[in-house]
This record gives sequence, C-alpha cells and structure tokens, in this order.
Amino acid sequence: MKRIIIIALFLAGVIPALAQDKPRLYTIASPFERYTHYLATVRYMGAVPMGSFKDNYIDKSSFQNASISIEWVLRNTPFSVGGEIGSTYFEKRVPRALYDSEDGTISAVQTRTVSQYPVELFANYLFLPRNSQVQPYVQVSSGASILDYTIYYGTLAAQDQKVRFKYGVGAGSRFLFKKDGTFGVDVRVKYDGTAYKFDYIDKGISSVSGSIGLFYRWW
Amino acid sequence: MFRKASFLLLIVGLGLMSCSKDPISDLSNEESLVYITNHDQSANFSQYKTFSIVDSVLIVENQRAGTSLDDIDRAMLQRLITNMQNMGYKYVSRTQNPDVGINVSWITNTYLNVVSQPLSSYYGGYWGGYGYGYPSYYSYYETSESSWLVSMLDFKNPQTTPSGKTFNVIWDAQIRGSAIGDQSLIDKMADSIFGQSEYLKIK
Repeated sequence: MKRIIIIALFLAGVIPALAQDKPRLYTIASPFERYTHYLATVRYMGAVPMGSFKDNYIDKSSFQNASISIEWVLRNTPFSVGGEIGSTYFEKRVPRALYDSEDGTISAVQTRTVSQYPVELFANYLFLPRNSQVQPYVQVSSGASILDYTIYYGTLAAQDQKVRFKYGVGAGSRFLFKKDGTFGVDVRVKYDGTAYKFDYIDKGISSVSGSIGLFYRWW
Repeated sequence: MFRKASFLLLIVGLGLMSCSKDPISDLSNEESLVYITNHDQSANFSQYKTFSIVDSVLIVENQRAGTSLDDIDRAMLQRLITNMQNMGYKYVSRTQNPDVGINVSWITNTYLNVVSQPLSSYYGGYWGGYGYGYPSYYSYYETSESSWLVSMLDFKNPQTTPSGKTFNVIWDAQIRGSAIGDQSLIDKMADSIFGQSEYLKIK
C-alpha cells in the first residue's frame, strides 16, 4: 500500500511535468524563424508588353516565360536577397505589308520576336514575420538580360544579340501549404525594363508579368 | 546544400537557354515570299512605250552562268509579259528597238560559314571566352540561297562609255524566300512585284 502511494506520488510529480513539457516544445520558435534559410521558387509567367515596345514592335501578350530563383531569407531582418534567372519570349506576326527603305520597297510577312534570358539579383521586403503562412512582399531587382532581337521578313531574318542592363519592381505573396511547412505557392506581379535600342525598339523593352510559382524552403 | 542548389540553378538555367524557338515554322509557302523592288528615282517611266523580254532565264550560280527555259521559267516570263502589258507597255520583238528590256535571272549564292566556339555548344555558348587554354572548336556549315531577279533596262537612253554602250537599270525586283521555286506561286510573284510598283504604270 505504501509502495502504491509512493508510485502515485511519483507519477503525480512526473505526469504534470510531462504535460507541461509538451506545450513548451511549441514555444521554441521554428528553425525557419531562428535561422537564415533558403528558398527556391520556380515560376511560370504571362507577360504583357508595355510602353513604346508595345506601340512600335510587339503588342501581343506572351505565355512563354519562366524563371527560377533562389534566395536567402535573412535572420532578424524583414529582408530576403537572392538571384533569379529566366527566359521570356515575345512574338508577333504581322500580315503582308509594304516597308519602304533606302534599299527599295519590301513586301513581306513580318515575324517579330524578342527573347531574353534575364540574370538578376533581387531583394525582397517581407511585411509579416518570416514564418507566417501568408507572406506578402515587395521586390526590386536588377541585372543583365541576354537578349536576342530577331525580325523575320518571310523566312529572311535580321538579328541582333546583346547583353543589356535590366531592372524590375514587383509585389507578390507566398502562401505556405501548411503552417511551418516547406512547400508553398508564390504569386507575383512584376514590371520589367531592359535598356535596349535597335531597329523598331527605340526606348527599351518593358513589360508587366504576372506569375504563379511553386516554392520550397529549407535550412 | 547551397552549393548543390546553385548547381541545380545553373543546370536549369542552361536548360532554359537551350530552348530554341522556331517562330517561322508555321509560315505558308506564299507567306514566306519576300518581294523587294527598287527603281531609279530620276527615271520618267512615261517616256517608255515598248518593251521586250529575254527569251530564257539567266541562271547565275556563284561565278557560273547559263540559261534555262523549263516550265517554271516559261511561266514566269509569260506572267511578266502580261503584267507589263497591263501597265500599258507594248510587247515588241527585240529587233524592233524596244524602249525597255526585261531581264530575268535566277541567282543562287552558296556561302561557307565558319563558327568558332570557345567551348562545345553543349554549354550553351555563353560560357568561356576567358582563354584558359580551352581548345577552340570550329564548325562549318554551308548555306545557299536562291532568288529571282527581274530588272528593267533603259534601252532608250544608252550610256556611251569607252568600252561600248551600257544600259541603266531603271527598275528591279528581287523575289526571295524558301518557296520561290513553287510553280503554283509564279503568277502571284509576278503580280506582286508589279503590284507594289505603281509608278511603272503608263496608261
């Protein structure tokens, strides 16, 4: 009987302690909160041409764009920084028309294309704590665009390839599939501008893109 | 971990770059044709009344030349005559001192191209170029392009030079594109080069 009382007293001491330990586990912040962690995003984009690029060259929206980015979500700051590379492509077919030049009058079906491979560094400002399930952010980016301007007259092509400065500003949000999880969805709207001047393009290439992406984070 | 990730990023990036696009693969034969016309700005076409045309098509291939008169050539010559007549010129034989002459040639140029690559093309071509003793790779490819060249010579006002009489070209037209040998498009080609040269009209 005495032994039972001792066991009971022992359990009475241990069980509450166990019960108290469990909630305490949750009070330790998630590693995503405590450490600088990594985040990789794959995005698929739809883009709309803007400005003089739209007026003079291509006004058709493009759905052949994608990018991949990797970033550090920094500890104790509301910022993340990283790099993004992508591929964007605009194309427009112009029905047969006459073009006057010093070489004469050219009648042709024009196919206008611009493809770019942007390589950028970016910084995000995060509005909410770093581990929140919804994470809105704003973004600035700059870098280089490896670009290819090809205009076809029928099957004859005139081409210009350059590497040019580009920049971007964007806003978006990340949504974790589950609280404290590793996978989630990213949506972003971004303005991109590339400094470029050739043939039909007189004031650079600008576009606004909307993207949907999938991200994975780890530490 | 990050090293692995950046390597992955590199692979995907190169993957993106190697996606080549072929935006003109959906062009029809007719759409592929390009007509380029030019004329002597000082020429006054109303002074010409009669024309003649070569009896066969001149074939110029690189430095060699010959003549040809097969079905497609005959069709082209016929349609050019029709178009000149529609413009108001009278078709006469070459012995009747035509005011202008129409020359038709089929020109083929073959080029040998060389590309040098600092690294194999497998890497996308954007890397390297620093000269760390990588061997250079060269590839050769041959391209060949043919075109129709139709020109109008001014027989009425010959230039006299020490080497003899020469005639100015007062109008010319090039027809280029992958489908220039398509016989069903010959009429369209001839009509198009005249259609975009309204200044030739004398009636």
